[in-house]
Amino acid sequence: MMGGTLLIGAALLSGLTATVLLVTNYLRREERYLNAVTPLIGTTAGLLSLALAYLTYQFVTTDYANAYVWNNTANYISIFYRITGVYAGNQGSILLWAALTAVVAFWAVVVRGLERRETRLVQGITMGVVTYFTAMLVLDSPFKPISAAFPEMDPGFVPIDGTGLNPLLIDPYMAIHPPIMFIAYALLTMPFAIAVAHFISTVRGENGLFEEWIGSVTRWLRIAWLFLTAAIVLGSLWSYRVLGWGGIWAWDPVEVAVLIPWLFLTATLHAVMNYRSRSTYATLAPAMTGATLALIVYATAIVRSGVFRSVHSFADGGIGAALLVLLAITSILGIGLPLGYWLLREPETASETAADTSQSQQWISRVNLKHLAVLSIGLLGFISVWGLTFPVLNTSVTGVEVEVSGQYYNLWSYPIVLGVLLILGFYMDYDVEGRRRALISLGIFSLSTVLAALIAPSETWTLSNVDGSDALLYRLVGNASALSILPPAAYVCLTVIKRTLEFVPGNPNRNYQLKQVGITMIHVAFALFVVTVTFSYLFTAQSSLVVADADREATIEGSTVHEVPDSNYAVQVSDYRSYQRPEEPNVENMALSSEQIASRGQEIHETRQPVYGTATQINTGPNATVIQLDNSGIWIGAMNASQTELGIERGDQVVGVGTVMWDFLPDMPQSDGVVVTEAANVGPVSNPPAALDQTRVEGTAVGLTVYQNGEQIARGNAGQEQYRQQGGMEVRDVLVDRGLTHDTYVIAAVDDGTVSLTVKQIPLMTVMRLSVGALLLGMLLVLVFDPAHGLARLWPQVTRQQTTAETTSD
Amino acid sequence: MSISPRKVFTITIFITAIGIGYYSMNAAPVLSDDSHTYHGDTEWRTDIDDAQQLAAEQEKPLLIYFWTTWCTYCEDYNANAYSDPAVLEQLDEFVLLAVNLEDNSQQAGALQQQYSANYPPQHVAVTPDGEVLVEINGYAETDAFQGYLDEALEEWERQ
Repeated sequence: MMGGTLLIGAALLSGLTATVLLVTNYLRREERYLNAVTPLIGTTAGLLSLALAYLTYQFVTTDYANAYVWNNTANYISIFYRITGVYAGNQGSILLWAALTAVVAFWAVVVRGLERRETRLVQGITMGVVTYFTAMLVLDSPFKPISAAFPEMDPGFVPIDGTGLNPLLIDPYMAIHPPIMFIAYALLTMPFAIAVAHFISTVRGENGLFEEWIGSVTRWLRIAWLFLTAAIVLGSLWSYRVLGWGGIWAWDPVEVAVLIPWLFLTATLHAVMNYRSRSTYATLAPAMTGATLALIVYATAIVRSGVFRSVHSFADGGIGAALLVLLAITSILGIGLPLGYWLLREPETASETAADTSQSQQWISRVNLKHLAVLSIGLLGFISVWGLTFPVLNTSVTGVEVEVSGQYYNLWSYPIVLGVLLILGFYMDYDVEGRRRALISLGIFSLSTVLAALIAPSETWTLSNVDGSDALLYRLVGNASALSILPPAAYVCLTVIKRTLEFVPGNPNRNYQLKQVGITMIHVAFALFVVTVTFSYLFTAQSSLVVADADREATIEGSTVHEVPDSNYAVQVSDYRSYQRPEEPNVENMALSSEQIASRGQEIHETRQPVYGTATQINTGPNATVIQLDNSGIWIGAMNASQTELGIERGDQVVGVGTVMWDFLPDMPQSDGVVVTEAANVGPVSNPPAALDQTRVEGTAVGLTVYQNGEQIARGNAGQEQYRQQGGMEVRDVLVDRGLTHDTYVIAAVDDGTVSLTVKQIPLMTVMRLSVGALLLGMLLVLVFDPAHGLARLWPQVTRQQTTAETTSD
Repeated sequence: MSISPRKVFTITIFITAIGIGYYSMNAAPVLSDDSHTYHGDTEWRTDIDDAQQLAAEQEKPLLIYFWTTWCTYCEDYNANAYSDPAVLEQLDEFVLLAVNLEDNSQQAGALQQQYSANYPPQHVAVTPDGEVLVEINGYAETDAFQGYLDEALEEWERQ
């Protein structure tokens, strides 16, 4: 038990030493003990990984001597979900985050070394973050002994079963979503450190290091974007399946909180593209790079500190304060420092090159258009930040609670997204066709967007159900037709593809070609994604049906096919099955054997213990019935109960829970100890008393055959599970049929043989899934093959630093 | 200082952001004031003690609605059941109490625990003493919702 906390303590020591050495060496321009730093960072990473592995081992072996394990898993949970229990709570996820960050730091120091002075500062900051997390873990360890949870129990007490895992987390998507997200967070620590080091160095009158590190920053940001996007996608898929009501996105506070860093990271990637040393974006690009981690910590603080309660509040309390302090530190370093520099120290006249100046003085130029893109994506981010923030502000200032629903986010974000698409299309067109022709097509597409917004074939086509009580702007946007998304999206697709065809074929540089294909994929996929989201959101059709005797129908071969009203679906019930988990409760999970009771002796005198064994003798007296277990000195004594009342015969397996009393019956020399209890707490193992009932989950699965227009499209189960020992929480298991044009999504609510079915038809989900895939693949191409900063160019010679700016546009 | 196009863009976007911020804050529908929250055309009490006391005084059952701002099915309730005159009439037979699941107060927490309200939306019809008449977990179509309310009232009459 102490082992885990010792590992973390040792990691804190080595991390702290490394941080101090790195920072002092940087500040004093020395090289004292510098050789020790790389091994120290390696040790920190190793120790934290070891602690994580040890915790995982405790989960797999259900070592309930650890309170955290006891709290986040249970015997009936399969090995796979025991592993995911590791990061189901705060301490485990911070450990995962810390270990990943340390590994990233170690990798960076191995690749880059510490010869250059500014590397020491960058690594010092990264290791500072690792050390902070480790200190949090020392204060609130995931290896706390179980006695912390049961202070009243004797030392050495270990529960037989755990309390379980949050039912919503028992899902394959949920198993990989958190690690991927923490990898993204860990990766973003590096660009944060580089940006902060840049400003510290600049403020100290040195040269700053962004210019030289731009390649490195770009790579870190792109990898992080890849992982963060993947994490959000996995989270959405989870929400689509498991929550069963929100669909892929519900503007839940926590979903918004992870969207904020994603939008900001996307804007930062565009800003970094715009970076030219000491002229354009000299302050903004590094500033945005630094701010990203602060936003991540903000998002995490919201999830974990309990400021907002939401579907995601899996873990709360305790860790909040430490995260708020971290938020303050990262904000000061990542936002305050750049802002202060910008206000106080930035040179008045930035020495732009002649070419840059003439570019930026023109209204329409590549640099300015990219700037507009950065601003617009930033504005999208602002919508989300504001939506999360202002209700809290408003309530605390005026006491009046206001509503921020999906409508707020949808109706503000929609026009901005249209704007972003039009700017993107224009940029791509301008690159090929030049100013005059590009302006004409922009005019045409903008006009068609406005016209399309006015054409709504039916009410369904309007963006939102607004009425007279809504504010004017909401009514205006809400009444616009969803057709308005098509011209901007088409504009983007056409211009992006045209530009690719113009520049890519015939270009001698293979890497350039591949990168451009990646850029094309990302932007086309984004346009497609926006279209599919809009239409699948608006055109989801829902109908419902109640099957009264589903349990009876399931037994009939060829039972009635029920038409689902107002739809082209029909449903047949082919199976109805109730089940429970664990399937066959194991008595060893339930209670101690008579032998175990005997061996623990006086230690458990007068404590309440569960016990089982074979009834070898049964005596009934006037006040009690006593049952001998396994021919041993251990008996169960049921007060005021007769044998018939207990329903136990000699030879039965018996289980009961009661107070262990040694030397309780001095008249019976063959009894050493008696577990004293009453009738309700004793019973045969086959029908254990309620207090020992091991049933965790009671579920019903309804086998369904779904027909559309008379043809069978899907067969499978839908149903619900109730987690009895977790507040009776219900989880729905949905039946999803993934089709080319639409998904069919069936939710079943079961109540004693009656099944209420909700059948949803959700269009375009497959196109959406494809566009997300293209988005990720596109970024992978860019990350690897970018001629200026791609990973591919690093492979032959890892440490070489490259500063050549790409001459052709990106 | 020369005004470059980039500065103009930046300033414009900043003003837009401030405008959006100000406008949206003022335009946000009021969800609750001192003692009520509003859902669809319905008005719900938020003070738990007051509601329980009122139910006891008027000898009416209490309908507790567990909701959140971001719950999409709550919006469906607003659009369907809570705008339906027939439902509104039925709701008059209850004292209405809405509990935001994001309310961290001890009393709200206790109520959530008592009725195992883990996710929105959930309705629980109870006697003034807190005994459960009917539970509606998740979303119910308006017909079914009315059925549940009738069931609660019948149960209430019987007691």
